[in-house]
Amino acid sequence: MTFLTVVARGLIRRPVRTGLTLLGISIGIAAVVALVGISRGFESSWASGMKARGTDVVVSNLSSALTPKPFEDKVRERITPLPHVAATCTILVDLMGIESSSMMFVSAREWGGFSWENLKLTAGRMPKDAMEPVVILGRTAAEVLSKKIGDPIQIETRELTVAGIIDGGAIVEDGSVILSLPLLQEITGNQGKINIIDVRVTPGTTEAEVKTLCQEINKVVPEGKAMPAGDNIGNSQAYKFIRAMSWGTSLLAVLVGVLGVMNTMLMTVFERTQEICILLALGWKRSRIVRLILWESALLGFSGGVVGVIIGGIGVKLLEHTPAIRGLLEADLSPQLMLMSVLISLVVGVISGLYPAWRSSRLPPGQALHG
Amino acid sequence: MTSSTPSSASPPSQVVYEAANLKREFDDGKVQALRGVDFSILAGEFVAITGPSGCGKTTLLQILGALIKPSSGSLLYRGNSLADLPDPSEYRAREIGFIFQSFHLLPTYTTLENVQMPMFEMGWSASERRDRAAELLKSVGLGHRLDQFPAKLSGGERQRVAIARSLANGCSVLLADEPTGNLDSENAERVMELLVNLHTDKHMTLVLITHDQGIAGTASRTLRMKDGRVLSDSALTTTLAAS
Repeated sequence: MTFLTVVARGLIRRPVRTGLTLLGISIGIAAVVALVGISRGFESSWASGMKARGTDVVVSNLSSALTPKPFEDKVRERITPLPHVAATCTILVDLMGIESSSMMFVSAREWGGFSWENLKLTAGRMPKDAMEPVVILGRTAAEVLSKKIGDPIQIETRELTVAGIIDGGAIVEDGSVILSLPLLQEITGNQGKINIIDVRVTPGTTEAEVKTLCQEINKVVPEGKAMPAGDNIGNSQAYKFIRAMSWGTSLLAVLVGVLGVMNTMLMTVFERTQEICILLALGWKRSRIVRLILWESALLGFSGGVVGVIIGGIGVKLLEHTPAIRGLLEADLSPQLMLMSVLISLVVGVISGLYPAWRSSRLPPGQALHG
Repeated sequence: MTSSTPSSASPPSQVVYEAANLKREFDDGKVQALRGVDFSILAGEFVAITGPSGCGKTTLLQILGALIKPSSGSLLYRGNSLADLPDPSEYRAREIGFIFQSFHLLPTYTTLENVQMPMFEMGWSASERRDRAAELLKSVGLGHRLDQFPAKLSGGERQRVAIARSLANGCSVLLADEPTGNLDSENAERVMELLVNLHTDKHMTLVLITHDQGIAGTASRTLRMKDGRVLSDSALTTTLAAS
């Protein structure tokens, strides 16, 4: 029998209570995994969407909403003359309820712009011209909306037709309804308005030159903010808010877990007062008793972390496939996030055990001779 | 043995415990459990402490086991003050073994695991602890019950496990608090036989609390207590009678 056997036996002896405490901390950790995974996934989905569109720099005004604030499309004229700018493409993106889906990305792109280039048709065809009343659906969007080529699709008050289905190479693209910019501007009454300018830089442009270009654009375009494509969403106020909310909610859930573990360990100490006193009478040092309680709570935290990561991972995967969310995001369940979650849980376990351990170390060994 | 605990490697005639005017109060002096106790116990002695409930026997045993400190007076263990020990757990871990009236075995551990408990502070490996525990259980006639949980054992068997546990650290002093108090006469006799054999064969110092005059009669010396004082000491009576 090793010291760890003693630790594990301390937890196993009360299977229901240990199980419920594990569940409590697991839910907290599952919340961390799910919420942080989703918010990170949103960021990486957005970045991969930019990459799929072949964008190097994004000019937009992502101040306080999930979609950027619209501005005049003439702004583009101030960007095209700048050094290292190879091409620009104006876009109007919105999150809209489309038929059975309560929220879906609608991405309207400048007709003939480079952001149409990377769309790989898997069925049907591309629009014939800028004003043809058709849409292209990402493959996930087509599945969510149960649409096939030739089906009608209602966007606001206009009925359009599904002309093609594409493999967009990124979750955002696959989950989008794509159409030509003038068509959406007309449907939504946003004539002359856009909310994103995708900028493609000339080949060989260095990262430093891209940053300098962003600074140049920011000088001439006060309506928006230019950022390297990967940084764009992470710097938006709305995303920062989502990220803060995710962490805030997660920490609250973890705090509940802390209280749960602390309560369990305190109960353990109260219930095992005589046992602890006996061990002290048998010569155990107080430091060993402290270690026993801390190891038990750490083991509880670690196990809760592992179970929480599993619950969180499964939960997120289920969530990704619900019709309301499908195609909008792909959670980032990286090993790093999993490891961090288990580590948080372990730390939570140790912290929760500190007070009970201290209490246990104060017990008088003389009590062993009573009862 | 560490520097914080006195050495047990001493000749049999050496004084193990020496108490002088030992007092212990509880509840800010409202309860006086010990009111000035003087005695000395030699190495290898078998001392029975008797007396009515509330006379201070258990308090005295707690002080001998360094579980509590006396309010005043002094208690020396092999010449060193127990009250001044920097780490009393070291003394409990290496010098003494406890036997409790209610056995106090840990219910979620097997007999083999219970006996290993005091060995965690000895710095022995897991296999050393296991082998020694098995050996001790065999020596008390429980070699066939190694993997049983205490709930499956009879009272007598539980107390024999507790005796094996008390010997786990290789101590030279056994402190027993009414070890037969919860046993029927047959099991009580067997447990006492075991303790007497330990005393005679291994020259262990045995301090035993009992209400049972028959059991007290098996001891080489009896301290009778009343109201927190030693009423009589058979060693002194014998000495006085001889003189």
